[in-house]
Amino acid sequence: MPVGYSIYQERPSTLHQRIDPRTKLALLVTTFVLALAYNHPAVLGVLTAAIIAAAWWAQLDFRRFLPILLAAGWFLVLGIIIWPFYIQVGPPLFFVLGAAITLTGLLFGVAMGLRVALMVAAAGVWMMSTSPQKMTLGLVKIGLPSKAGVAMSTAIRLVPLINAKRATIAEAQRARGLRLDTGNPVSRARKSVSILGPLLLSSIDLAQALAIAMDARGFGARRDRTSLVEIRMTTLDWAIITGCVVAAVGSVILRLLGVGVIVQGYL
Amino acid sequence: MTLERAPIIEVRDVGFSYPEAGVPALRGVNLTIREGEVVALVGQNGAGKTTLAKLFNGLLAPTQGEVVIRGQSTRKAGIDILSRIVGYCYQNPDHQIFSNTVRQEVAFGLKNHGVPKAEIEAKVHAALEMVGMEGEGDRYPFLLGRGERQKLAVASILALGPPVLVVDEPTTGLDLRGTRNIMELLSRLSEAGRTIVIITHDMNVVAEYAPRTVVMMNGAVILDGPTRAVLTDERALRSAFLKPPQITRVALRLHERAEGFAREILTVPEFIAEFRRLAGSGDANTASAARDGGS
Repeated sequence: MPVGYSIYQERPSTLHQRIDPRTKLALLVTTFVLALAYNHPAVLGVLTAAIIAAAWWAQLDFRRFLPILLAAGWFLVLGIIIWPFYIQVGPPLFFVLGAAITLTGLLFGVAMGLRVALMVAAAGVWMMSTSPQKMTLGLVKIGLPSKAGVAMSTAIRLVPLINAKRATIAEAQRARGLRLDTGNPVSRARKSVSILGPLLLSSIDLAQALAIAMDARGFGARRDRTSLVEIRMTTLDWAIITGCVVAAVGSVILRLLGVGVIVQGYL
Repeated sequence: MTLERAPIIEVRDVGFSYPEAGVPALRGVNLTIREGEVVALVGQNGAGKTTLAKLFNGLLAPTQGEVVIRGQSTRKAGIDILSRIVGYCYQNPDHQIFSNTVRQEVAFGLKNHGVPKAEIEAKVHAALEMVGMEGEGDRYPFLLGRGERQKLAVASILALGPPVLVVDEPTTGLDLRGTRNIMELLSRLSEAGRTIVIITHDMNVVAEYAPRTVVMMNGAVILDGPTRAVLTDERALRSAFLKPPQITRVALRLHERAEGFAREILTVPEFIAEFRRLAGSGDANTASAARDGGS
Protein backbone atom coordinates (compact mmCIF):
# COMPACT_ATOMS: atom_id res chain seq x y z
CA MET A 1 0.00 0.00 0.00
CA PRO A 2 1.51 3.32 -0.97
CA VAL A 3 0.71 4.83 2.42
CA GLY A 4 3.28 7.61 2.14
CA TYR A 5 1.95 8.83 -1.21
CA SER A 6 -1.37 10.15 0.03
CA ILE A 7 -3.08 11.23 3.21
CA TYR A 8 -4.40 7.67 3.59
CA GLN A 9 -3.65 6.08 6.96
CA GLU A 10 -3.55 2.31 7.34
CA ARG A 11 -5.65 1.36 10.38
CA PRO A 12 -7.31 -1.87 11.57
CA SER A 13 -10.74 -0.18 11.84
CA THR A 14 -13.97 -1.51 10.36
CA LEU A 15 -14.21 1.56 8.12
CA HIS A 16 -10.77 0.79 6.69
CA GLN A 17 -10.85 -2.97 6.46
CA ARG A 18 -14.43 -4.19 6.20
CA ILE A 19 -16.24 -1.57 4.15
CA ASP A 20 -15.91 -1.65 0.38
CA PRO A 21 -14.59 1.55 -1.29
CA ARG A 22 -17.81 1.75 -3.34
CA THR A 23 -19.80 1.75 -0.11
CA LYS A 24 -17.56 4.48 1.29
CA LEU A 25 -18.14 6.49 -1.86
CA ALA A 26 -21.90 6.02 -1.39
CA LEU A 27 -21.51 7.24 2.21
CA LEU A 28 -19.61 10.31 0.99
CA VAL A 29 -22.20 11.12 -1.68
CA THR A 30 -25.00 10.66 0.87
CA THR A 31 -23.22 13.03 3.26
CA PHE A 32 -23.07 15.61 0.47
CA VAL A 33 -26.79 15.13 -0.29
CA LEU A 34 -27.64 15.55 3.41
CA ALA A 35 -25.39 18.61 3.65
CA LEU A 36 -27.22 20.20 0.71
CA ALA A 37 -30.70 19.09 1.79
CA TYR A 38 -30.71 20.99 5.07
CA ASN A 39 -29.82 24.55 5.89
CA HIS A 40 -30.50 24.49 9.62
CA PRO A 41 -27.34 24.84 11.75
CA ALA A 42 -28.56 22.31 14.34
CA VAL A 43 -28.97 19.56 11.72
CA LEU A 44 -25.70 20.39 10.00
CA GLY A 45 -23.95 20.63 13.39
CA VAL A 46 -25.13 17.13 14.31
CA LEU A 47 -23.97 15.80 10.93
CA THR A 48 -20.54 17.46 11.35
CA ALA A 49 -20.24 15.96 14.84
CA ALA A 50 -21.15 12.58 13.33
CA ILE A 51 -18.31 12.90 10.80
CA ILE A 52 -15.82 13.76 13.55
CA ALA A 53 -17.12 10.75 15.50
CA ALA A 54 -16.59 8.61 12.38
CA ALA A 55 -12.98 9.84 12.22
CA TRP A 56 -12.53 8.81 15.85
CA TRP A 57 -14.19 5.44 15.19
CA ALA A 58 -11.86 4.91 12.21
CA GLN A 59 -8.89 5.49 14.56
CA LEU A 60 -7.52 8.27 12.39
CA ASP A 61 -4.52 10.16 13.70
CA PHE A 62 -6.05 13.45 14.87
CA ARG A 63 -2.77 15.32 14.32
CA ARG A 64 -3.21 14.53 10.62
CA PHE A 65 -6.96 15.14 10.67
CA LEU A 66 -6.62 18.48 12.49
CA PRO A 67 -5.40 20.47 9.44
CA ILE A 68 -8.50 19.31 7.56
CA LEU A 69 -10.71 20.37 10.47
CA LEU A 70 -8.94 23.73 10.64
CA ALA A 71 -9.47 24.25 6.91
CA ALA A 72 -13.13 23.34 7.46
CA GLY A 73 -13.21 25.81 10.38
CA TRP A 74 -12.21 28.61 8.00
CA PHE A 75 -15.34 28.00 5.94
CA LEU A 76 -17.36 28.31 9.13
CA VAL A 77 -15.75 31.67 9.87
CA LEU A 78 -16.31 32.86 6.30
CA GLY A 79 -19.97 31.76 6.42
CA ILE A 80 -20.57 33.72 9.63
CA ILE A 81 -18.88 36.83 8.19
CA ILE A 82 -20.48 36.84 4.73
CA TRP A 83 -24.04 35.40 4.91
CA PRO A 84 -25.60 37.74 7.54
CA PHE A 85 -25.20 40.60 5.05
CA TYR A 86 -27.45 38.76 2.57
CA ILE A 87 -30.01 37.10 4.91
CA GLN A 88 -31.92 39.83 6.66
CA VAL A 89 -34.89 37.88 8.03
CA GLY A 90 -36.27 38.90 11.45
CA PRO A 91 -35.55 41.85 13.74
CA PRO A 92 -32.04 43.35 13.56
CA LEU A 93 -29.61 42.48 16.35
CA PHE A 94 -27.07 45.18 15.40
CA PHE A 95 -25.78 47.08 12.37
CA VAL A 96 -22.47 46.69 10.52
CA LEU A 97 -21.57 49.28 7.86
CA GLY A 98 -25.25 50.22 7.72
CA ALA A 99 -26.42 46.64 7.14
CA ALA A 100 -28.83 45.06 9.62
CA ILE A 101 -27.49 41.81 11.08
CA THR A 102 -30.23 39.42 12.25
CA LEU A 103 -30.16 36.27 14.37
CA THR A 104 -31.55 34.25 11.46
CA GLY A 105 -28.83 35.68 9.20
CA LEU A 106 -26.13 34.69 11.68
CA LEU A 107 -27.57 31.19 12.11
CA PHE A 108 -27.84 30.79 8.34
CA GLY A 109 -24.16 31.85 8.09
CA VAL A 110 -23.26 29.21 10.66
CA ALA A 111 -25.27 26.67 8.66
CA MET A 112 -23.57 27.54 5.36
CA GLY A 113 -20.16 27.39 7.01
CA LEU A 114 -21.03 24.05 8.60
CA ARG A 115 -22.27 22.75 5.25
CA VAL A 116 -18.90 23.31 3.56
CA ALA A 117 -17.01 22.24 6.70
CA LEU A 118 -19.07 19.04 6.75
CA MET A 119 -18.24 18.28 3.11
CA VAL A 120 -14.53 19.02 3.62
CA ALA A 121 -14.35 16.89 6.78
CA ALA A 122 -16.28 14.03 5.13
CA ALA A 123 -13.98 14.08 2.10
CA GLY A 124 -11.01 14.09 4.50
CA VAL A 125 -12.27 11.01 6.37
CA TRP A 126 -12.99 9.30 3.03
CA MET A 127 -9.46 9.94 1.71
CA MET A 128 -7.79 9.05 5.01
CA SER A 129 -9.67 5.77 5.30
CA THR A 130 -9.58 4.58 1.66
CA SER A 131 -6.28 3.58 0.08
CA PRO A 132 -5.68 5.15 -3.37
CA GLN A 133 -5.48 1.68 -4.91
CA LYS A 134 -8.84 0.59 -3.52
CA MET A 135 -10.37 3.97 -4.27
CA THR A 136 -9.36 3.66 -7.92
CA LEU A 137 -10.44 0.04 -8.11
CA GLY A 138 -13.82 0.96 -6.64
CA LEU A 139 -14.33 3.67 -9.24
CA VAL A 140 -13.28 1.33 -12.07
CA LYS A 141 -15.76 -1.31 -10.80
CA ILE A 142 -18.61 1.20 -11.00
CA GLY A 143 -17.79 2.03 -14.62
CA LEU A 144 -14.90 4.49 -14.66
CA PRO A 145 -12.53 3.61 -17.58
CA SER A 146 -9.39 1.96 -16.21
CA LYS A 147 -7.18 4.63 -17.82
CA ALA A 148 -9.10 7.33 -15.96
CA GLY A 149 -8.72 5.31 -12.76
CA VAL A 150 -4.96 5.16 -13.22
CA ALA A 151 -4.90 8.88 -14.03
CA MET A 152 -6.74 9.57 -10.79
CA SER A 153 -4.49 7.43 -8.60
CA THR A 154 -1.41 8.88 -10.34
CA ALA A 155 -2.62 12.40 -9.65
CA ILE A 156 -3.01 11.53 -5.96
CA ARG A 157 0.44 9.93 -5.95
CA LEU A 158 2.06 12.98 -7.55
CA VAL A 159 0.72 15.49 -5.02
CA PRO A 160 3.33 14.86 -2.30
CA LEU A 161 6.10 14.55 -4.92
CA ILE A 162 5.18 17.90 -6.42
CA ASN A 163 4.93 19.37 -2.93
CA ALA A 164 8.46 18.13 -2.18
CA LYS A 165 9.66 19.73 -5.42
CA ARG A 166 7.96 22.98 -4.45
CA ALA A 167 9.83 22.94 -1.14
CA THR A 168 13.17 22.33 -2.91
CA ILE A 169 12.53 25.10 -5.44
CA ALA A 170 11.51 27.52 -2.68
CA GLU A 171 14.77 26.68 -0.86
CA ALA A 172 16.79 27.24 -4.02
CA GLN A 173 15.21 30.68 -4.51
CA ARG A 174 15.59 31.57 -0.82
CA ALA A 175 19.29 30.76 -1.24
CA ARG A 176 19.33 33.59 -3.81
CA GLY A 177 17.78 36.00 -1.34
CA LEU A 178 14.09 35.60 -2.24
CA ARG A 179 11.86 36.60 0.68
CA LEU A 180 8.35 35.32 0.14
CA ASP A 181 7.18 36.46 3.56
CA THR A 182 7.68 40.17 2.90
CA GLY A 183 5.97 42.72 0.67
CA ASN A 184 2.36 43.41 -0.28
CA PRO A 185 0.12 40.78 -1.88
CA VAL A 186 0.95 41.98 -5.42
CA SER A 187 4.70 41.75 -4.89
CA ARG A 188 4.30 38.37 -3.19
CA ALA A 189 2.31 37.13 -6.19
CA ARG A 190 5.06 38.37 -8.51
CA LYS A 191 7.72 36.68 -6.37
CA SER A 192 5.84 33.39 -6.48
CA VAL A 193 6.46 33.25 -10.25
CA SER A 194 10.05 32.27 -9.41
CA ILE A 195 8.68 29.18 -7.70
CA LEU A 196 5.70 28.40 -9.92
CA GLY A 197 7.75 28.59 -13.14
CA PRO A 198 10.30 25.90 -12.26
CA LEU A 199 7.58 23.91 -10.47
CA LEU A 200 5.39 23.82 -13.58
CA LEU A 201 8.28 22.75 -15.80
CA SER A 202 9.49 20.13 -13.29
CA SER A 203 5.95 18.76 -12.95
CA ILE A 204 5.54 18.47 -16.73
CA ASP A 205 8.92 16.77 -16.87
CA LEU A 206 7.89 14.39 -14.09
CA ALA A 207 4.58 13.55 -15.76
CA GLN A 208 6.24 13.04 -19.14
CA ALA A 209 8.88 10.71 -17.69
CA LEU A 210 6.17 8.75 -15.91
CA ALA A 211 4.10 8.48 -19.09
CA ILE A 212 7.09 7.16 -21.05
CA ALA A 213 7.90 4.68 -18.27
CA MET A 214 4.28 3.44 -18.30
CA ASP A 215 4.20 3.18 -22.09
CA ALA A 216 7.44 1.21 -21.97
CA ARG A 217 5.73 -1.31 -19.69
CA GLY A 218 2.76 -1.76 -21.98
CA PHE A 219 0.21 0.54 -20.37
CA GLY A 220 -2.83 0.83 -22.63
CA ALA A 221 -2.04 -2.33 -24.59
CA ARG A 222 -5.28 -3.88 -23.31
CA ARG A 223 -8.59 -2.26 -22.54
CA ASP A 224 -8.89 -3.80 -19.08
CA ARG A 225 -6.21 -4.40 -16.50
CA THR A 226 -6.04 -7.02 -13.80
CA SER A 227 -5.50 -5.91 -10.22
CA LEU A 228 -3.42 -7.22 -7.34
CA VAL A 229 -6.07 -6.00 -4.91
CA GLU A 230 -9.55 -7.52 -5.11
CA ILE A 231 -12.62 -5.92 -3.58
CA ARG A 232 -15.97 -7.58 -2.83
CA MET A 233 -19.33 -6.27 -1.65
CA THR A 234 -20.58 -7.94 1.54
CA THR A 235 -23.93 -8.00 3.32
CA LEU A 236 -22.69 -5.15 5.52
CA ASP A 237 -21.96 -3.09 2.40
CA TRP A 238 -25.41 -3.68 0.94
CA ALA A 239 -27.00 -2.80 4.29
CA ILE A 240 -25.04 0.47 4.43
CA ILE A 241 -25.90 1.33 0.82
CA THR A 242 -29.58 0.67 1.53
CA GLY A 243 -29.29 3.00 4.54
CA CYS A 244 -27.61 5.62 2.32
CA VAL A 245 -30.43 5.47 -0.26
CA VAL A 246 -33.10 5.74 2.47
CA ALA A 247 -31.24 8.67 4.11
CA ALA A 248 -30.75 10.51 0.80
CA VAL A 249 -34.34 10.06 -0.39
CA GLY A 250 -35.69 10.81 3.11
CA SER A 251 -33.66 14.01 3.36
CA VAL A 252 -35.04 15.23 0.01
CA ILE A 253 -38.61 14.47 1.16
CA LEU A 254 -38.02 16.23 4.51
CA ARG A 255 -36.56 19.18 2.65
CA LEU A 256 -39.68 19.39 0.48
CA LEU A 257 -41.77 19.29 3.68
CA GLY A 258 -39.71 22.15 5.09
CA VAL A 259 -38.02 20.13 7.86
CA GLY A 260 -34.43 21.12 8.78
CA VAL A 261 -34.71 24.45 7.01
CA ILE A 262 -34.06 27.78 8.71
CA VAL A 263 -34.55 30.05 5.69
CA GLN A 264 -36.93 29.13 2.88
CA GLY A 265 -35.92 29.90 -0.70
CA TYR A 266 -32.22 29.22 -0.21
CA LEU A 267 -30.50 25.90 -0.87
CA MET B 1 49.70 26.63 4.95
CA THR B 2 46.01 25.74 5.29
CA LEU B 3 46.11 26.07 9.05
CA GLU B 4 47.14 29.70 8.82
CA ARG B 5 43.94 30.71 7.04
CA ALA B 6 41.02 32.07 9.02
CA PRO B 7 38.04 29.77 9.57
CA ILE B 8 35.06 30.75 7.43
CA ILE B 9 32.70 27.91 8.38
CA GLU B 10 32.70 26.46 11.88
CA VAL B 11 30.36 23.62 12.79
CA ARG B 12 30.36 23.02 16.52
CA ASP B 13 28.85 19.83 17.92
CA VAL B 14 25.90 20.14 15.57
CA GLY B 15 22.89 17.87 15.58
CA PHE B 16 19.86 18.16 13.33
CA SER B 17 16.58 16.27 13.11
CA TYR B 18 13.86 16.75 10.51
CA PRO B 19 10.37 17.06 11.99
CA GLU B 20 8.63 13.67 12.25
CA ALA B 21 11.86 11.82 11.33
CA GLY B 22 12.73 9.07 13.75
CA VAL B 23 16.48 9.20 13.19
CA PRO B 24 18.57 12.39 13.50
CA ALA B 25 19.99 13.55 10.16
CA LEU B 26 23.15 14.90 11.86
CA ARG B 27 24.81 13.84 15.11
CA GLY B 28 27.63 15.66 16.90
CA VAL B 29 29.24 17.11 13.77
CA ASN B 30 32.37 19.21 14.26
CA LEU B 31 34.00 20.74 11.21
CA THR B 32 36.08 23.79 10.42
CA ILE B 33 36.51 25.00 6.86
CA ARG B 34 39.08 27.71 6.27
CA GLU B 35 39.09 30.48 3.69
CA GLY B 36 40.19 29.35 0.24
CA GLU B 37 39.87 25.62 0.93
CA VAL B 38 38.35 23.19 -1.55
CA VAL B 39 36.56 20.50 0.45
CA ALA B 40 34.72 17.46 -0.86
CA LEU B 41 31.81 16.13 1.20
CA VAL B 42 31.26 12.47 0.40
CA GLY B 43 29.09 9.69 1.77
CA GLN B 44 26.29 7.40 0.70
CA ASN B 45 22.75 8.70 0.13
CA GLY B 46 21.20 9.82 3.41
CA ALA B 47 24.58 10.27 5.12
CA GLY B 48 23.74 13.90 5.92
CA LYS B 49 25.89 15.76 3.36
CA THR B 50 23.17 18.00 1.94
CA THR B 51 21.60 18.58 5.35
CA LEU B 52 24.98 19.72 6.68
CA ALA B 53 25.51 22.02 3.70
CA LYS B 54 22.05 23.56 4.15
CA LEU B 55 23.08 24.57 7.66
CA PHE B 56 25.89 26.68 6.18
CA ASN B 57 23.60 29.32 4.66
CA GLY B 58 20.77 29.15 7.17
CA LEU B 59 18.32 27.19 5.01
CA LEU B 60 18.17 24.91 8.05
CA ALA B 61 18.92 25.77 11.66
CA PRO B 62 20.72 23.23 13.86
CA THR B 63 18.58 21.56 16.50
CA GLN B 64 21.72 21.20 18.62
CA GLY B 65 25.08 22.99 18.62
CA GLU B 66 26.04 25.96 16.51
CA VAL B 67 27.12 26.84 12.98
CA VAL B 68 29.25 29.97 12.72
CA ILE B 69 29.86 31.64 9.36
CA ARG B 70 32.57 34.28 9.36
CA GLY B 71 32.05 34.80 13.07
CA GLN B 72 28.24 35.01 12.85
CA SER B 73 25.99 32.35 14.27
CA THR B 74 23.48 31.15 11.68
CA ARG B 75 20.79 31.30 14.37
CA LYS B 76 21.17 35.07 14.54
CA ALA B 77 22.11 36.02 10.97
CA GLY B 78 19.21 35.59 8.56
CA ILE B 79 19.37 33.92 5.18
CA ASP B 80 19.56 37.39 3.55
CA ILE B 81 22.98 37.92 5.17
CA LEU B 82 24.15 34.32 4.94
CA SER B 83 23.22 33.90 1.29
CA ARG B 84 25.72 36.64 0.43
CA ILE B 85 28.48 34.75 2.25
CA VAL B 86 27.58 31.17 1.36
CA GLY B 87 26.23 30.60 -2.14
CA TYR B 88 24.38 27.31 -2.48
CA CYS B 89 24.12 25.75 -5.89
CA TYR B 90 21.50 23.02 -6.14
CA GLN B 91 22.03 19.67 -7.80
CA ASN B 92 19.33 20.24 -10.39
CA PRO B 93 19.66 23.64 -12.10
CA ASP B 94 16.05 23.36 -13.26
CA HIS B 95 14.97 23.83 -9.65
CA GLN B 96 15.89 27.47 -9.84
CA ILE B 97 15.80 28.61 -13.47
CA PHE B 98 12.63 30.45 -14.44
CA SER B 99 13.57 33.65 -16.28
CA ASN B 100 13.21 34.35 -20.00
CA THR B 101 16.87 35.17 -20.55
CA VAL B 102 20.18 34.07 -19.10
CA ARG B 103 20.87 37.66 -18.08
CA GLN B 104 17.58 37.99 -16.16
CA GLU B 105 18.22 34.70 -14.41
CA VAL B 106 21.61 35.85 -13.16
CA ALA B 107 20.16 39.20 -12.08
CA PHE B 108 17.41 37.57 -9.97
CA GLY B 109 19.42 37.22 -6.76
CA LEU B 110 20.90 40.70 -7.12
CA LYS B 111 17.42 42.22 -7.39
CA ASN B 112 16.33 40.26 -4.31
CA HIS B 113 19.20 41.83 -2.41
CA GLY B 114 18.29 45.32 -3.60
CA VAL B 115 21.46 45.91 -5.63
CA PRO B 116 21.18 49.19 -7.61
CA LYS B 117 20.28 48.74 -11.28
CA ALA B 118 23.54 50.32 -12.45
CA GLU B 119 25.57 47.74 -10.55
CA ILE B 120 23.45 44.77 -11.59
CA GLU B 121 24.53 44.92 -15.23
CA ALA B 122 28.22 44.92 -14.33
CA LYS B 123 27.83 42.09 -11.82
CA VAL B 124 25.79 40.00 -14.25
CA HIS B 125 28.42 40.49 -16.94
CA ALA B 126 31.22 39.56 -14.54
CA ALA B 127 29.40 36.43 -13.34
CA LEU B 128 28.70 35.27 -16.91
CA GLU B 129 32.32 35.94 -17.82
CA MET B 130 33.50 33.83 -14.88
CA VAL B 131 31.55 30.82 -16.14
CA GLY B 132 32.44 31.42 -19.77
CA MET B 133 28.92 32.41 -20.86
CA GLU B 134 29.50 36.08 -21.61
CA GLY B 135 28.02 35.78 -25.10
CA GLU B 136 24.88 33.93 -23.97
CA GLY B 137 23.13 36.70 -22.05
CA ASP B 138 20.10 36.93 -24.34
CA ARG B 139 19.52 33.22 -24.76
CA TYR B 140 16.49 31.41 -23.42
CA PRO B 141 17.80 29.37 -20.45
CA PHE B 142 15.63 26.32 -21.08
CA LEU B 143 17.17 25.83 -24.52
CA LEU B 144 20.67 25.51 -23.05
CA GLY B 145 22.24 22.07 -22.57
CA ARG B 146 22.36 20.52 -19.11
CA GLY B 147 26.01 21.51 -18.59
CA GLU B 148 25.31 25.09 -19.65
CA ARG B 149 22.29 25.28 -17.33
CA GLN B 150 24.50 24.04 -14.51
CA LYS B 151 26.98 26.82 -15.29
CA LEU B 152 24.13 29.32 -15.40
CA ALA B 153 23.02 28.17 -11.95
CA VAL B 154 26.56 28.70 -10.68
CA ALA B 155 26.71 32.14 -12.36
CA SER B 156 23.45 33.21 -10.72
CA ILE B 157 24.98 32.40 -7.33
CA LEU B 158 28.38 33.92 -8.20
CA ALA B 159 26.72 37.21 -9.11
CA LEU B 160 25.96 37.68 -5.41
CA GLY B 161 29.72 37.54 -4.78
CA PRO B 162 29.72 34.93 -2.01
CA PRO B 163 33.21 34.03 -0.73
CA VAL B 164 31.96 30.45 -0.16
CA LEU B 165 30.36 28.33 -2.86
CA VAL B 166 28.59 25.09 -1.97
CA VAL B 167 27.85 22.96 -5.01
CA ASP B 168 25.59 19.97 -4.57
CA GLU B 169 26.52 17.15 -6.94
CA PRO B 170 27.65 19.45 -9.74
CA THR B 171 28.56 16.65 -12.14
CA THR B 172 25.37 14.56 -11.95
CA GLY B 173 23.96 13.95 -15.40
CA LEU B 174 26.97 15.45 -17.16
CA ASP B 175 29.21 13.70 -19.67
CA LEU B 176 33.00 13.75 -19.27
CA ARG B 177 33.34 17.03 -21.11
CA GLY B 178 30.59 18.67 -19.06
CA THR B 179 32.14 17.35 -15.86
CA ARG B 180 35.55 18.76 -16.82
CA ASN B 181 34.04 22.13 -17.73
CA ILE B 182 32.23 22.55 -14.45
CA MET B 183 35.13 21.27 -12.32
CA GLU B 184 37.63 23.49 -14.10
CA LEU B 185 35.29 26.40 -13.46
CA LEU B 186 35.29 25.54 -9.76
CA SER B 187 39.10 25.26 -9.84
CA ARG B 188 39.34 28.74 -11.35
CA LEU B 189 37.03 30.11 -8.69
CA SER B 190 39.18 28.47 -6.03
CA GLU B 191 42.32 29.99 -7.52
CA ALA B 192 40.58 33.36 -7.34
CA GLY B 193 40.30 32.86 -3.56
CA ARG B 194 36.84 31.37 -3.10
CA THR B 195 36.14 28.62 -0.63
CA ILE B 196 34.51 25.69 -2.40
CA VAL B 197 32.52 22.87 -0.83
CA ILE B 198 31.64 20.10 -3.28
CA ILE B 199 29.03 17.49 -2.40
CA THR B 200 29.61 14.54 -4.68
CA HIS B 201 29.50 10.81 -5.21
CA ASP B 202 32.15 10.95 -7.93
CA MET B 203 35.38 9.81 -6.29
CA ASN B 204 37.38 10.63 -9.43
CA VAL B 205 36.26 14.24 -9.13
CA VAL B 206 37.26 14.20 -5.46
CA ALA B 207 40.68 12.74 -6.28
CA GLU B 208 41.38 15.23 -9.01
CA TYR B 209 39.97 18.48 -7.66
CA ALA B 210 39.58 18.46 -3.85
CA PRO B 211 42.66 18.70 -1.62
CA ARG B 212 40.55 17.90 1.47
CA THR B 213 37.82 15.31 1.89
CA VAL B 214 35.22 14.85 4.59
CA VAL B 215 33.48 11.47 4.74
CA MET B 216 30.06 11.26 6.34
CA MET B 217 28.03 8.29 7.45
CA ASN B 218 24.72 8.12 9.32
CA GLY B 219 24.82 11.84 10.08
CA ALA B 220 28.35 11.90 11.50
CA VAL B 221 31.78 12.82 10.13
CA ILE B 222 33.85 9.64 10.20
CA LEU B 223 36.89 10.82 8.28
CA ASP B 224 38.33 14.27 7.59
CA GLY B 225 41.73 15.00 6.15
CA PRO B 226 43.87 15.43 3.04
CA THR B 227 42.21 13.66 0.13
CA ARG B 228 45.33 11.58 -0.51
CA ALA B 229 45.16 10.12 2.99
CA VAL B 230 41.37 9.72 3.01
CA LEU B 231 41.07 8.01 -0.38
CA THR B 232 43.78 5.52 0.42
CA ASP B 233 42.17 4.51 3.72
CA GLU B 234 40.22 1.67 2.14
CA ARG B 235 39.00 0.19 5.39
CA ALA B 236 37.42 3.44 6.61
CA LEU B 237 35.91 4.12 3.19
CA ARG B 238 34.49 0.61 3.06
CA SER B 239 32.75 1.18 6.39
CA ALA B 240 31.01 4.18 4.76
CA PHE B 241 30.14 2.06 1.68
CA LEU B 242 32.57 4.03 -0.47
CA LYS B 243 35.40 2.95 -2.73
CA PRO B 244 38.55 4.84 -3.73
CA PRO B 245 38.93 5.60 -7.46
CA GLN B 246 39.78 2.53 -9.51
CA ILE B 247 43.32 3.73 -10.26
CA THR B 248 43.95 4.21 -6.52
CA ARG B 249 42.78 0.67 -5.82
CA VAL B 250 45.09 -0.69 -8.54
CA ALA B 251 47.97 1.28 -7.02
CA LEU B 252 47.18 -0.03 -3.54
CA ARG B 253 47.25 -3.62 -4.82
CA LEU B 254 50.52 -2.97 -6.66
CA HIS B 255 51.97 -1.38 -3.54
CA GLU B 256 51.22 -4.60 -1.63
CA ARG B 257 52.85 -6.75 -4.29
CA ALA B 258 55.55 -4.65 -5.97
CA GLU B 259 58.30 -3.35 -3.78
CA GLY B 260 58.79 0.38 -3.99
CA PHE B 261 55.52 1.20 -5.75
CA ALA B 262 54.02 4.34 -4.17
CA ARG B 263 50.88 3.78 -2.09
CA GLU B 264 49.01 7.07 -2.40
CA ILE B 265 48.16 7.37 -6.09
CA LEU B 266 44.99 9.26 -6.98
CA THR B 267 45.03 9.89 -10.73
CA VAL B 268 46.02 8.17 -13.94
CA PRO B 269 48.89 10.63 -14.70
CA GLU B 270 50.29 9.93 -11.23
CA PHE B 271 50.03 6.22 -11.86
CA ILE B 272 51.81 6.46 -15.21
CA ALA B 273 54.57 8.59 -13.71
CA GLU B 274 55.07 6.11 -10.88
CA PHE B 275 55.04 3.19 -13.29
CA ARG B 276 57.64 4.86 -15.48
CA ARG B 277 59.77 5.63 -12.46
CA LEU B 278 59.79 2.00 -11.41
CA ALA B 279 60.31 0.80 -14.96
CA GLY B 280 63.30 3.03 -15.12
CA SER B 281 62.13 5.31 -17.89
CA GLY B 282 61.38 8.18 -15.53
CA ASP B 283 62.79 9.45 -12.34
CA ALA B 284 61.58 9.84 -8.80
CA ASN B 285 61.15 13.57 -9.25
CA THR B 286 58.67 13.12 -12.11
CA ALA B 287 56.46 10.80 -10.05
CA SER B 288 56.65 13.00 -7.02
CA ALA B 289 55.82 16.06 -9.12
CA ALA B 290 52.79 14.26 -10.56
CA ARG B 291 51.51 13.53 -7.04
CA ASP B 292 52.16 17.10 -5.89
CA GLY B 293 50.15 18.34 -8.84
CA GLY B 294 47.19 16.28 -7.66
CA SER B 295 45.53 16.48 -4.28
